[in-house]
Amino acid sequence: MTSLRWVGVIAHKDLRIEFRAGGRVVAMIALAVLACFLFAFALDRSQVSARHVAASLTWLTVLFAATAGAGRAFDTEEEDGAFRHLLLTPIPRHAIFLGKTAANLVLIWMVTLLAFIALTAFLGLRDPGSLTHHGAVFLPGTIGLAATGTFFGLVSRHSSLGDTILPALTFPLLVPVIFFGATASARVFMERPWPEISGSVRLLWAFALGFTAVGSILFRYVAED
Amino acid sequence: METRNARLAGLIMTTAGVATILFVHWMVVFWVPTEAVQGIVQRIFYVHVPAAWTTFLAFGIVALASAAYLWLEDERADSAAVAAAEGGLIFGAIMLTSGPLWGRIAWGTYWTWEPRLTLTLLLWFTYLGYFLIRGSVADPRRGKRFAAVVAIVGSLNIPLIHVSVTWFRSLHPQPVVIKPEGPTLHPDMLVTLLTSLAGFTMLFLGLFFLRYSIELLSRRPRSGAVQRASEVLT
Repeated sequence: MTSLRWVGVIAHKDLRIEFRAGGRVVAMIALAVLACFLFAFALDRSQVSARHVAASLTWLTVLFAATAGAGRAFDTEEEDGAFRHLLLTPIPRHAIFLGKTAANLVLIWMVTLLAFIALTAFLGLRDPGSLTHHGAVFLPGTIGLAATGTFFGLVSRHSSLGDTILPALTFPLLVPVIFFGATASARVFMERPWPEISGSVRLLWAFALGFTAVGSILFRYVAED
Repeated sequence: METRNARLAGLIMTTAGVATILFVHWMVVFWVPTEAVQGIVQRIFYVHVPAAWTTFLAFGIVALASAAYLWLEDERADSAAVAAAEGGLIFGAIMLTSGPLWGRIAWGTYWTWEPRLTLTLLLWFTYLGYFLIRGSVADPRRGKRFAAVVAIVGSLNIPLIHVSVTWFRSLHPQPVVIKPEGPTLHPDMLVTLLTSLAGFTMLFLGLFFLRYSIELLSRRPRSGAVQRASEVLT
């Protein structure tokens, strides 16, 4: 079996567990929608234009929901020892990492879509800019979030500080994603032309591919039994 | 023998480093000319730049030692990584406090979210995470492995910090020493800077060797009598 096929098998397995149990995905969605709701309330729109802050709020919502989800990505398997058995199978460690990242990515996309719809509705943005451009910005950004969250999700699972340590490890690394993602999304909301956005998108792709590659190499040291 | 050599090297280098830094302070106050544009505030440069260099040297050593630990599982590599990481955090704190003091006069603000400052602060936080994860995992071997991984991932930031002033629009001053056309500093300023760089490097290496020897001693298996005495006392 090729590595790519193993990636598909792991991702499929994780998504089936998620959608059957439903706990983590519901919690992520609830957190995202409630965060959007609170952001919309907290914002004084007589002072700040919603269009200027929509991008930042969307990215922060996605970051918080993705981090909360990543902290629980290994819970089910760790509790009944299934992850240990998974490590005993001949599946390469990088395929496990990539499969779990792919499953996390699907959940993060769902959250991103809902957060985007919720924020544009709550902030009353009738024309949020080109949806294709939004997709082109969120695609590499969410890959970076999923890879970082999956990698450090397993690390934090073994820490006595639990979910508290996950943001401490991931947020410093994710600042470039949030910075370039929010910058690019803000320009899409402001309906700026693609050449003004593409530079940030290239940097988002560099981070996403770079961290996915580094994570694939180092995952075997994190997932060693 | 190994710990004794490390301790001796540490003592010699720390003494030499402190003496050189004291001499640099004399040079900065009484000898080096005042920079024409920035005035007296430019003298922070002789502390800030060496502190920055030492920080990146320390975090580079952490990354290399961590990679060696993951590869060889040699406790000496992990001891070296811990010793260097502590030094990196201390010299990083000096860099992150001396920079804003200069920025308050030169830029009119203590802090600005420009690329080099932001990435350096993030690097410092990443290595703070190195100690957090190390101390919070029940299985020490696993804790060391996780910390090593954090150190390697964090070190990827170092080359990005170096090129950030040329890649992005940045308020941070451009390099004045490591340039393709050679240094553009006044010769006296260059001598002061190089002396300060030597002093900071020796001080860091001295502290590193001292801390490394302590770390090695703390990991040495205890004799039965020492173990029993330790249990009675605790």
